[in-house]
Amino acid sequence: MLENFGYLGVFLIAALLFALTMIMLPPLLRRFGIVPKKPNPVKSSTYECGMDTVGKSWVQFNFRYYFYALIFVIFDIQVVFLYPWAVSLGQLGLFGLVEMAVFFLILIVGFVYAWKKGVLEWK
Amino acid sequence: MNLYLLAPEISLCGLAIVVILLDLVLKRKGILAVVSVAGLIVPGAFTLALWGREETTFAGMLAIDQFSLFFNLFFLVMAALVILSSVDYVSKFRAFQGEYYALVLLSAAGMMLMASTRELISIYVALELVAISLYALTGFLKDPKSSEAGMKYLLLGAVASAVLLYGMAMVFGLTGTTHLEEIAQAIPGGGLLANPALLLGIVLLVAGFGFKIATVPFQMWVPDVYEGAPTPITAYLSVASKAAGFAVILRVFYEALGAVSLDWGIIFAILAAITMTLGNVVAIAQTNIKRMLAYSTIAQAGYLMMGLAAVSALGSSALLFFLGAYALTNLGAFIAIIAISNKIDSDLIGDYSGMARRAPLLALALAFCLISLIGIPPTAGFMAKIYIFNAAVQYDLTWLVIIAVVNTAISAYYYLRVVKVMYLEAPPSEEAVPSSASLRAALSFCCLGVLLLGVYPWALLRITQAAVDIFFP
Repeated sequence: MLENFGYLGVFLIAALLFALTMIMLPPLLRRFGIVPKKPNPVKSSTYECGMDTVGKSWVQFNFRYYFYALIFVIFDIQVVFLYPWAVSLGQLGLFGLVEMAVFFLILIVGFVYAWKKGVLEWK
Repeated sequence: MNLYLLAPEISLCGLAIVVILLDLVLKRKGILAVVSVAGLIVPGAFTLALWGREETTFAGMLAIDQFSLFFNLFFLVMAALVILSSVDYVSKFRAFQGEYYALVLLSAAGMMLMASTRELISIYVALELVAISLYALTGFLKDPKSSEAGMKYLLLGAVASAVLLYGMAMVFGLTGTTHLEEIAQAIPGGGLLANPALLLGIVLLVAGFGFKIATVPFQMWVPDVYEGAPTPITAYLSVASKAAGFAVILRVFYEALGAVSLDWGIIFAILAAITMTLGNVVAIAQTNIKRMLAYSTIAQAGYLMMGLAAVSALGSSALLFFLGAYALTNLGAFIAIIAISNKIDSDLIGDYSGMARRAPLLALALAFCLISLIGIPPTAGFMAKIYIFNAAVQYDLTWLVIIAVVNTAISAYYYLRVVKVMYLEAPPSEEAVPSSASLRAALSFCCLGVLLLGVYPWALLRITQAAVDIFFP
């Protein structure tokens, strides 16, 4: 148990060091004169390569996107379950197949429900 | 892994799905209530078929024993009564009837799981299944009051869940396992004061579960939520959700933390005294009958906790008996209120004046249930109070019993005030109060049950004694 946390600790330290190095590197390089300082308007913009933003970032989204997001999450999770299941179906055998069928059935009930309630229609 | 042992819960979830699907294709929504109630026979039959078995499955996570089977039947009966009494009420929301019944059924499945799991993570999952269904049901009316109640319940419930999880994490951190029986073996000796971490864990667990059973100081949500929620759901919250909380407390504290029972017994005794006093005193000032009954359920939770404070087979079997008696009584009172409020469109006690002339049977049933809540013979409430006071006296908690008796006297004032308004004041109109056949059936079942338990308590008492035997081998 404790060794596992030690393993995590090593990762944590490595991650912190990496981030620190990346932050400290540019000022250090400038300091020792390796990189010249030549700013211009294009270089100083927020996104040097990309589009300028139009309007404010606080905009209203259509409420209906919320249903799509919900249904998307359902099928997203289904795919997450399907991949490991498909890989190890050989060992799981019939039981695994039936179990996944039950899982699918429950999800399909949710989908049929959303369909019947008219969630998929854009009015 | 034996799926048959899980058959009551699985069939109940299946029933909920069937109800949702039927709702999509059926035009006449009245059938949904019939299907929901009739379908409850299937999990009920599975429960009876399992009766007497004592097994665990899913790697010891799920226990089928007299205790969990008792609560299976309890929750199935509660769900059936709530659905029967909802039939009048659901006409208020024409659109989402299938979802309403399905959510009631799903939360019942969660409650059954809460009573039968013996592993902290599954307890939490079952608890959330109950809670999330009930959050949705509380806000079901979609008017400002109901939405506010749902929102409050959701936010405070989430906080309570977090506290509960923190407590579980503490217990897990100290013992290295989430299985209740393994926790019992890993509990360090020397009492709670020698183990501050365990003390913190237990206090957090009491707080998390205390939210469910609405004990002081975790009772703030009760009046607002009970007032705003649809009345059948208020009844459901006040009996089934509370009973599930007590079931899980009994399971966790006896099975996992039995070694330090002396310490948590004291915690529950003090909480019980404060809870019943606060509930009763604040109930006096209420003018809305749903709010009054909300405070009354807080007081009843105080009496119920006496069964936890008296750490013995007697105490916990008295607690189960009290739960049964209280559930029938409180449901009866709420069902009568559903019918009356539907007609007069008000929850104020003053508007109940002369109800004995307008609806003699409903008024009689309500008065009978209120008398049972006080604890006057020949009602179930009387027998329940006798057993639980007796258990507390046997456990040397005489001071707690004295407080409880004083509280009972206080409670008589506000319960009898409603009876007085109904019987002695003049009615504003002579119009009769209509009620559906299913509501009348549910109400008569409750009242007959209250009367039966008041004069012949032995049958239920034997079942409750068998149910708690598993904690006292």
